Amino acid sequence: MANTKVAIIAANGGLFDAYKVFNIASAAAASDAEVGIFFTFEGLNLIHKEGHKSLPLPEGKEHFQEGFKQANVPSIEELVSLAQEMNVKLIACQMTMDVMNLEKDAFVEGIEVGGAATFIEFAKDANMTLTF
Amino acid sequence: MDSAKVLDAKGLACPMPIVKTKKAMEDINSGEILEVHATDKGAKSDLTAWAKSGGHEIVQNTEEDNVLKFWIKKA
Repeated sequence: MANTKVAIIAANGGLFDAYKVFNIASAAAASDAEVGIFFTFEGLNLIHKEGHKSLPLPEGKEHFQEGFKQANVPSIEELVSLAQEMNVKLIACQMTMDVMNLEKDAFVEGIEVGGAATFIEFAKDANMTLTF
Repeated sequence: MDSAKVLDAKGLACPMPIVKTKKAMEDINSGEILEVHATDKGAKSDLTAWAKSGGHEIVQNTEEDNVLKFWIKKA
């Protein structure tokens, strides 16, 4: 999968959303694809310095917490650092940050900040574009 | 089979077996064999797909007592 590019939009901020985004991103990066994720609106939670450590389960699905533990699923913190180790590009949406009054230092180290055009430029020659 | 390295990925859930396999693969030379042990039931199709995407060859795989074993020859 070298020479393959995967562009992902993360627009939701729950624990399930985080697993969907980071599992796909890590799998693609482990297969030598170039991966970029654009975090917008509630998706920003997934890279928020504190927020990403305690993402909510959907209402009524709290009992899945146990299942995550039993299946020995890695934590989101672990997946974020793995993704970064594998050079997954993390782009936070500037406009959402402005709306939510968040600065770059509210997020995990090593992210980029950009607007929609930054993502479009990255995604224009992507082989896969995924939205979560 | 003569493995250059053995990776114990037992107990790990998706996507960790392939992430660990990718890292372990970096430690061996082209033509050498990495042996992977996993219990994630998805590993069979995932490692097969992963190997294919990188041009590596799964020369053998077995399943015994719920442990999946793969011998992957590095491209």
